[in-house]
Amino acid sequence: MAQMICLQRWKWMHLDAFSHYAFMSATCSNQYGLMDGLLEELEIQQLHSVSQSTIYLLRTWSLSLYTIPRQIKCFIIVGAVASANGSALAKIGCTTMLAAVKLEVMTPKLESPDEGCIAIDFHMPPICSPLVRPGRPAEAAPVITKQLTDIILSSGMIDLKELSLVSGKAAWLAYLDIYCLDADGSLFDAALLSAVAAFSHLQIPVVSLNDNGRIVLISEENSGAMWEKEPVNKEKRKLKLDTLPFSLTCALHKNYILADPSAEEESIMETYLTVVLDSSLQLVSLNKPGGPGLAQTSAIQDCVALTIKRVKELQKMLNEAISDMEVD
Amino acid sequence: MAGKISNTPATYTPSPTSQNKKRPSIVTGSDWVRPDGRGLHQCRPAFLRTGAVNSASGSAYAEFGNTKVIVSVFGPRESKKAMMYSDIGRLNCNVSYTSFATPIRGQVHESFDPYTLKLCSYFSPSTVIFCINLMLLVCQASDSKDLSSMLHKALEGAIILESFPKTTVDVFALVLESGGSDLPVVISCASLALSDAGIRLYDIVASVSMSCLGMNLVIDPVSEEESYQDGNLMITCMPSRNEVTQMTVTGEWSTPKIHEAMQICLDACTKLGMIMRSCLKEAVSAPEE
Repeated sequence: MAQMICLQRWKWMHLDAFSHYAFMSATCSNQYGLMDGLLEELEIQQLHSVSQSTIYLLRTWSLSLYTIPRQIKCFIIVGAVASANGSALAKIGCTTMLAAVKLEVMTPKLESPDEGCIAIDFHMPPICSPLVRPGRPAEAAPVITKQLTDIILSSGMIDLKELSLVSGKAAWLAYLDIYCLDADGSLFDAALLSAVAAFSHLQIPVVSLNDNGRIVLISEENSGAMWEKEPVNKEKRKLKLDTLPFSLTCALHKNYILADPSAEEESIMETYLTVVLDSSLQLVSLNKPGGPGLAQTSAIQDCVALTIKRVKELQKMLNEAISDMEVD
Repeated sequence: MAGKISNTPATYTPSPTSQNKKRPSIVTGSDWVRPDGRGLHQCRPAFLRTGAVNSASGSAYAEFGNTKVIVSVFGPRESKKAMMYSDIGRLNCNVSYTSFATPIRGQVHESFDPYTLKLCSYFSPSTVIFCINLMLLVCQASDSKDLSSMLHKALEGAIILESFPKTTVDVFALVLESGGSDLPVVISCASLALSDAGIRLYDIVASVSMSCLGMNLVIDPVSEEESYQDGNLMITCMPSRNEVTQMTVTGEWSTPKIHEAMQICLDACTKLGMIMRSCLKEAVSAPEE
C-alpha cells in the first residue's frame, strides 16, 4: 500500500529515472527515515522549478513547528455599508471580506409560520484575485457558500423565530451577501468572521402593517403620528445572538502545522483542516476536505488548541469593534 | 444563486410610509438646499487611497460621500488565445455592483435615466452636429455592461497602449455602495489604479458629472438628485493636457446651460486631478511597512 502511494506521488512529481530507482529501493527496504529525507529533498527540487519563494516557505516551516496565526493587520469594521441593515468589513492578513445583511419581507412557509429565513451567498468578484475573470465564477465560491450556510444555520447563532413579524403572514428574509475584496488564503475564516460581525451589527427597523397587508417602514421623524397603526416592531432592535462561531484554518504539510495559510502557502500545502468553535469553545464543525495528506489525531488536537487561542482573540476584537461603533 | 433562494416566496423591501419620491417643488428657487446640505457647485469630499487590493497589480479605493468603489488592475498579461495578434495593448473593463449597493437589493442600476433626448431643437447648427456625435457615444447606461463600455471609452484615450503590445490590461471595478455619480467615481478611481499598477498613461483621468434640475445646475449629484434630474452631463478629462476623453449629455439642456456646465465640470476635474495627484505622491512617499 505504501508503495502504491509513493508511486502515485512519483508520477505527480515527474522525476527522472534515477530518482525513481532510488525511491523504489528506499520503499522496498522499508527505511522510512531515509524515504522521508528523500521525499523532502525531491520535493524541494520539484519546488525549485516553481519558484524561489516557495522553497523559502518550506524552510521556514521546518524551522518553526507551529507558526502563529497572522496577527498583524487583522481588523473588523462594523457598519461599513450604509445602504444595508447590517454590515461589516473584516481583514485577516491581506484577505479582506465585506459582508452585508439586507432585510426583505416574505411570506413564511406553511410548515414554519413564525420563522424567518436566511439566504447566504458568497461572491468572488473579479477584483479579488488575478485568477477570477468576469463571466467565469470562481470554483471556491459555491463551496464556501455551502459551508457558511451550514455553519450559520446549524450553530444556533440565530433564532429564526426572532425574524418573524406577523405569524403566518410576514417574516424577515435576511439576505447575507459576502464579497471577497482581496483573496489571500484562508477565505473561509475571513468570510465567517465578516458574516458574524455583520449579524452582530444588524438592526431590525421599525415597521408596521398597512391596510393593504404590506409591511411599511416607519421613519423616525413621523413615528409619533403613525403610532395608531400599531407598529409590528416597536423599536429598532438587534438580534439576540446566543453564540458566535469563529474558525481557524490550518495547513497540514507532513509533520508541520501552519496556521492561517496565505494564498501562496495554500497552493503548495498537502491539505488543510478548518476548525469552527463557538464562543463557549464548543466544537461546531471540523472540516478536512480530503487531499493527498492525512491528518493525525495529534495534529487535529493541536489545530483545535490553536483555534481556541484564535477564537478568544477574534471575540475580543469583535467586541471592541462593536463598542467602538456604539460610541460613535 | 443558491437553490435555496429560488424556493422562497417572492419578497420585497419595505418602503417608507411617506412617499416623498416626487420632485421637490422649489427646484427653481435659489434658496433650495441639497439633500446633503452642500452648495450647488460644491463636490462631495473625496477619499482616495491606492493599494487597496494586495493581489492585484494595482488598485485604488474611492469614497465620495456614500459612493464607494474599489478598482483592481491586473496585467499587462497575455491576451486570450482566441484573440488576434495586436501591435498595441488591449484594455478590458468590467464594472459590477454588489447586491447591497442599491437601496433595493439587486436592483438594476440606472445611472442615466432614459429621459427624452430632445437636445437638438434648442441648438445652433454647429452644436447640433456636435450633439449628434455625442449622442452616438451616449449609452443608456442601465446595467453594468454599459458602464463597462463607458469606462473602457473613457480610459482608452489616456493609456499608452503601444507600451504593452500583445497583452491585455484588465480593469475591474466593484461598486460597494451606490450613492450617485457612480460612473465618474469609477473612472477617476480606475485611473488611479492604473497609475498604481505602473501602466503608462498620458495623464491621469478625472471625471465629474453634473445634473440639471430646473434652473439649477448641481455638481456631483447624489442618487436622490439623479432620480429627479432633467438632464445629466458627464465630462472625463486629462487635466494637465486639457483634453476631454469622454463627454456624455443626456436629457434636456439649453446651449448656454451646457457651456456653463462644461466650464464648471472642467474646473472641478482640474481640482480632482490635483487631489488624485497628491494621493499618488502620498502613496510613494509613505514609508514601506
